[in-house]
Amino acid sequence: MNLPLEGISLVNLGKTYGDTVALAGLTLTAKPGEILGVAGPNGAGKSTMVKILASEISQETGEIFLNGETWDPWKHKNQVAVVHQEPQLFPNLTVAENIMVGIERSKFVKPTGDEVDPHLLEEVGLSKYANRLLGDLPMALQQRTEIAHALARSADVFLFDEPNSALTEEESKELFEWMHNLANNGKIVILVSHRLSELAAHCDRIVVIIDGVARTEIIGNEISEERIAQELITQNIMNSREIALNILNQTALLKINDWNHKDGVFKSVDLEVRTGEILAVIGVEGSGGRELVRSLAGFAQSSGTLHLIQSQANDKKHVISFVSGDRASSLFTNFSVGENLFIRVTDRITGKFRTLSRSHSRKIADAAVSDFLVKTASIDTPIRSLSGGNQQKVAIASALALNPRMIALEEPTRGVDISSKAEIYRLVRQYVSSGSAAVFYCTEVAEVFESSDRVVVIAAGKIQKILNVYDYVDAKALAHAITEIRSI
Amino acid sequence: MQTFGRAAGLISAIVIVMVIFAILSDGLFLIPDNLLGLLRYMGSIAIVGFGLTVVLIIGEIDLSFGAVYGLSSMLMGVAWIVWGWSLWASILASLFMAVLVGLFNAFFTVKVRLPSFIATLGSSTIVFGLSLWVSKSKTYSPLSPPDGRVIPAKEISFFTGLSNYPLPFGVPIQFVWALVVAGIFYYLISKSLFGFHLKAIGGNQLAAEFAKIRVGRSKMWAFIICSVAAAFSAILDFAFISSVQIDNGSGLLFPTFAAVVIGGASLAGGRGTVLGTFLGCLLLAILANGLAVLGSGASLQQIFIGAVTIIAVVLDQATKGLRKAQ
Repeated sequence: MNLPLEGISLVNLGKTYGDTVALAGLTLTAKPGEILGVAGPNGAGKSTMVKILASEISQETGEIFLNGETWDPWKHKNQVAVVHQEPQLFPNLTVAENIMVGIERSKFVKPTGDEVDPHLLEEVGLSKYANRLLGDLPMALQQRTEIAHALARSADVFLFDEPNSALTEEESKELFEWMHNLANNGKIVILVSHRLSELAAHCDRIVVIIDGVARTEIIGNEISEERIAQELITQNIMNSREIALNILNQTALLKINDWNHKDGVFKSVDLEVRTGEILAVIGVEGSGGRELVRSLAGFAQSSGTLHLIQSQANDKKHVISFVSGDRASSLFTNFSVGENLFIRVTDRITGKFRTLSRSHSRKIADAAVSDFLVKTASIDTPIRSLSGGNQQKVAIASALALNPRMIALEEPTRGVDISSKAEIYRLVRQYVSSGSAAVFYCTEVAEVFESSDRVVVIAAGKIQKILNVYDYVDAKALAHAITEIRSI
Repeated sequence: MQTFGRAAGLISAIVIVMVIFAILSDGLFLIPDNLLGLLRYMGSIAIVGFGLTVVLIIGEIDLSFGAVYGLSSMLMGVAWIVWGWSLWASILASLFMAVLVGLFNAFFTVKVRLPSFIATLGSSTIVFGLSLWVSKSKTYSPLSPPDGRVIPAKEISFFTGLSNYPLPFGVPIQFVWALVVAGIFYYLISKSLFGFHLKAIGGNQLAAEFAKIRVGRSKMWAFIICSVAAAFSAILDFAFISSVQIDNGSGLLFPTFAAVVIGGASLAGGRGTVLGTFLGCLLLAILANGLAVLGSGASLQQIFIGAVTIIAVVLDQATKGLRKAQ
């Protein structure tokens, strides 16, 4: 590989945590004067990359080169500056003292604020705040102190890690101006973010990381929010298929025969849901698809035979959990994030005399928040304050908290932002892989194509056909196959 | 946090109102006997109010507790004094009747799917009719039983002791009963899985059904709890005044609703605390008592308490809007 004389290059970085592969040979280069965007679903390895560059951890394999020379994170730590979502400086010191920490002029005397280059403070607009305690300042100024901290060390590389999650819109705008300033002054700027619109707006080049490797690069005019989203979802589909193919075609987890809705919305349905699969049921409103999926969880009165392979561990009542497509009927708006997460659980959250155990219930909620990467300040945050995508994650996580035998979901990613979408797919896939199954009711072919292994086409209360999603190269081809059948 | 802010608001309101009454009445309001009597009255409303709070949290309404209050004391009194049942059997019969009314309300609300407003309005009238029938429109007292009936003195002294037993500093025992009941309801509402499900159902019934929470069963218990609380309070009041008459409980509906709503329970469901209801009852009792001490007459009392209820809810909504704006 030809190494550029300018810029930072990560070559074949590898890192594992136990059985989890965080980085599987990540290679990418960032050049001075450009803003490089790094996108990827949560768990793709973005934060591992950040931690290595911040010298918080070391890679197991691979090398890093800066301006053509091997970069040792411990020796040349100051060359790479990481600006965090929440600045990792000293809240109990002043702005000036924070900038001087580690580069004091004297080994004995406590540094004073005067030692800081006034031009530097002027440049980053912190002159007024030099002697204020960092902890008293708003997040935006704290981040700016972090930038000044790095400039004082003549850093070459500025790595911004989800920097504006805690900022107001106005502050974000200013921060992005800073990023452009740094790039214009010949610094290397890397922006790691899940906010696709901002990546699209500010980056000159975007690398999409999936499963610890850089899968795609999007350059210049090709950059758009939709394009990044598309890459993320496509990569995710390929990934899911690799996993799914290994476990498909196994035994049936659930079988229904001669299954009839009470009001005849669907009639004499025979269907098999296989262990490990995500089965989509697609049909317009009134086709009986919605009712069919609900009936599996016991929410539409039906008759016929339903046979589910049981496991010992499942609570009888919650063998099949259901999440409605409408968040107005899947979440409790008077509850916190945590309460929404453990509302379905009963046994594991009660102590003596059916008393709610705070510690047990918090444990369940904390686990769900970290599994689903729910973006929330804490589990005590009101559910209303979360974004739609994160609310949806909470709704699905609360159903999975019971570890049901099977889940039935309605349009699980309708109206959900793209990164939450990818996470929901990933977590449902992970859940079905452990010997369960999921049935989705969908109205859009795109959702079926992105999420499912097989699709049941239903119209006028009858199953028209069952298709293998993998037999179709794209959503268009699948849509064609689905509508073709409908018109017969 | 929200409950804490509300409690602080209620406590400051209570202090302000007390100061105003103390000044206007030249200190008459602060005489210990008056304050102790106020606590007794407050305890009587609070026990009913806790039961109502449970029903409101789950998102339903109960208009029948006033009638249940009336019938339970009447049934107990007639069974004990006229029919010659033992004291314990009479009390149990009265509580059992309350359970039945709760079941009746729950049946029409949950199974027949009537709005609870209609179901309990109906049951309220039916229960009042039963009261009339049982009482034959007379007043009963264990101290003057009908000719030929002798009530054991032991039973009478035990019964009146329920609400008149002298405690140190003249603290009314009915207030102590209210504190005990408050403890039980605090556990039910804030500590138990049942209370958690109450709030879930009141917050979003459909979501609760989808989460496979037993909505119907929880509602049944809520109605039963409300009825039994009213019956318990009625029996204590009967024990206090040693006589029972047909209009018992007729004036209970509004003050209880007012106290519970002032205390922060929402008629829309999903919200309500024991502390809030307790303080709401205290504020209401102080208003009623203070106005009486000032000799303001019944009409002014009614107008004033009605106005305070509306103001409390308006203030609550205003502060809620403020919190959201922040």
